[in-house]
Amino acid sequence: MFIQQLANGLSVGSVYALMAVGYALIYSLLNFTNFAHSITVTIGAFTTFFFLTYAMENLFLGIFAGILTAALLAAFIEFIAYRPLLKRNARRVYLMIIGLGISVMGDNLVIIAFTGRFRIFPVNFPSESIQIFGSNVGLVDILIFVVSMLALLVVELIIRKTKLGLAIRSASYSLEATSLMGVDTFQLILWIFLIAGSLAGVAGTLLGAKYTAYPSLGTFYTNKAFICAVFGGLGSLPGAVVGALVLGVSEAMISAYVSTSLRDLFAYFLLIAILLVRPSGLMGKSSEDKA
Amino acid sequence: MRIWGWVTDMLKIDNLVFSYGKIQALNGVSFTVKEGEILSIVGANGAGKSTLMKCIAGLLKAQGGEITYDGQELPKSANAVVARGVALVPEGRWIFPNLTVEENLLMGGYLVKDSREGLERAYRMFPRLKERRNQRAGTMSGGEQQMLAIARGLMSNPKVLLLDEPSLGLAPLIVNEVIEYIDEINRQGVTILLVEQNARKALKIAHHACVMEQGRIVRYGTGDEIAEDESVVAAYLGKKA
Repeated sequence: MFIQQLANGLSVGSVYALMAVGYALIYSLLNFTNFAHSITVTIGAFTTFFFLTYAMENLFLGIFAGILTAALLAAFIEFIAYRPLLKRNARRVYLMIIGLGISVMGDNLVIIAFTGRFRIFPVNFPSESIQIFGSNVGLVDILIFVVSMLALLVVELIIRKTKLGLAIRSASYSLEATSLMGVDTFQLILWIFLIAGSLAGVAGTLLGAKYTAYPSLGTFYTNKAFICAVFGGLGSLPGAVVGALVLGVSEAMISAYVSTSLRDLFAYFLLIAILLVRPSGLMGKSSEDKA
Repeated sequence: MRIWGWVTDMLKIDNLVFSYGKIQALNGVSFTVKEGEILSIVGANGAGKSTLMKCIAGLLKAQGGEITYDGQELPKSANAVVARGVALVPEGRWIFPNLTVEENLLMGGYLVKDSREGLERAYRMFPRLKERRNQRAGTMSGGEQQMLAIARGLMSNPKVLLLDEPSLGLAPLIVNEVIEYIDEINRQGVTILLVEQNARKALKIAHHACVMEQGRIVRYGTGDEIAEDESVVAAYLGKKA
């Protein structure tokens, strides 16, 4: 039972991590929380669902379509909603308010367009399980964990090994100083949204596959991911991953050994607790080392 | 630009105006920097020197006036200004403390296709940076950080280097070293606009100099002329040692 719950928790936690890293990336550059993140997750799930239902039942192409759409949507939101405010040097709280507006509006537009139905992906995911230390662990959970970790690894490699990554790490310290190096910071910000949106697309697809696609999918799970990002230390990428895995496993354990009704409450309890005890989060340092 | 041996204007600031809300920081600043020279701007705290540098570098948008570089208007955004060949080494250095020394230099050469030559040149000029190439920049001393900031500014192969208070917070011996480096960079053909509170040293290496007061240029002359101007001596230099 324990191993089973641990696997389940790591699987959910790794999906939280995909979304939490998206929050952390954007926060590390722009010092605001992109609440519009949720709609990119939902749209990622829906795109994959529609692709599999109406185009072809090719899971890989379906996932790719979900990632691409979510990334483009994130970039679109940056371009039409955030950029004009950034250009005017508006206070970050206004960007957060706009993000919240987009999130609520997005949920409602999805309901209007596709109704509030829950949609099951028309692909038979492996329902078998394998034996690990005498426990049955679902193959889906392993698959989700591996895909999430691979996606995070790609992002880590981009940040550590590429010129774009170097610019992102510089900008996480100071956007202004980075612009003095000749970097077009608006282009850089667009890249960040593309990366965060891609991760949101992966998360949406995996969540849709595990739980079905529905209009408030993104909002529900990004709320959790936001808590993971705060718990890990807003703006810290390793912190976001650790926070996500901690929350995922804790939730799985609580629903197995305590009560399923307390599971969702736990996340918010954790949020309040960390803000009271250590407001900068587990790995949140000063503004020096965010990416 | 050099036409038939005549040295012409490299950077021309014309009637620049900037205010932070109601506070007027630049009040119609005009001067020119000639190709290949060091032009020093001296002035008290709050005279508008750093604001002027930020306006030229594209970090602040002037509300009036014009900046021309090599005969054309200088772009308004910081990254485009660097691309044109004007680099700012800002006050307080602004190095990236979370990156290594070498990564900082590579960022300076972000627009250059192949940074190897630039790195070599930087390490030749500042051997201490080579020793510390894999060290996090934030762990270095103030003097080393200033050298890194200057070396990083040179990585984009600028024609004009804007130096804002490069001696700020440094020990006197290190200040001399930094000033020597500036002189050397200039001898290699880089035009330098130097803003400095350490007026005596800034004037010593300057071909021309301006005195800035309350957002205006109040005096212009050669470095020696300004250094000997009685009112400048009284206000900024004090008695000669």
